[in-house]
Amino acid sequence: MMPKPSIWMLRLALVYLLISVSVGGLLLIQKTVNLHPMLWSLLPIHFELAIWGWLVQFVMGTAYWMFPRFLKGPKRGNEKFAIISVVSFNAGLLFLMAGYFTEVHSSLRLSSRFLMLFGVTLFVAVMWNRVLSYRQVPHEHS
Amino acid sequence: MPKVTRWFIKAGMLYFLLGVILAFISELPLLNTGALLLPVYWHMLVIGWLTQIIMGVSIWMFPRKWRDKKKRESVLCLLTFWLLNAGLILRFFAEPFIPFFRDYLAIQFVIIISALFQVAAISTYIAEIWPRVQPRNRKTPASA
Repeated sequence: MMPKPSIWMLRLALVYLLISVSVGGLLLIQKTVNLHPMLWSLLPIHFELAIWGWLVQFVMGTAYWMFPRFLKGPKRGNEKFAIISVVSFNAGLLFLMAGYFTEVHSSLRLSSRFLMLFGVTLFVAVMWNRVLSYRQVPHEHS
Repeated sequence: MPKVTRWFIKAGMLYFLLGVILAFISELPLLNTGALLLPVYWHMLVIGWLTQIIMGVSIWMFPRKWRDKKKRESVLCLLTFWLLNAGLILRFFAEPFIPFFRDYLAIQFVIIISALFQVAAISTYIAEIWPRVQPRNRKTPASA
């Protein structure tokens, strides 16, 4: 069964992939046909969404779903932390996108990076103990 | 491992190899290509390699919406593979020549087709994988 945080991460990653590739397609066409000169301002959105929104988030979502589960207690650790991690990471990503279009660019970018850092830190904390082999630590997980 | 997954992974590995070769070539003093090949090898690595590996593995591992014991590839998976790779190949052949032939109708046509193919490939991939990202297999006409 796929857990809720994974579903959110995977679906958001797919949405970001579509946006990133659509923007990338427009930028590619812009290289030969002048659609609109302002299109190049979308370049940072193209690669931020491709790397953070798509690749990183898809891997996080799949890892949270597929890594070994605990045999006692909550199967995937503290789910609230995982949910906060998803919300924080994606809020950070959206603020980062907004930062590229506003005059408060630097402060918004700083806070967005902090939110993403917080989200990733929580994710690492949730996943850390799930990086294990059942054979190596049977006394803790049986 | 389904056939289409093997195609995705093998194509991905080829792009990985080509991307690294291109990165190497672009650094050679005699063949200093500057920024000309930069978008080509970045897209070889991020779309050709990483994204294609993710697509192949997710099509293989994610729970199937329809319970098909033969695990046949859907039309959407095949479309994703062919559209993405056709789009990428057209792009990789045409993009380095844009600065020299920007106003030629032929290169404009190839680039537009390449962009449309890539966006279409992502759309078909999402159409395939979105219903498979769900809490548990809901009862469907095929599985009921």
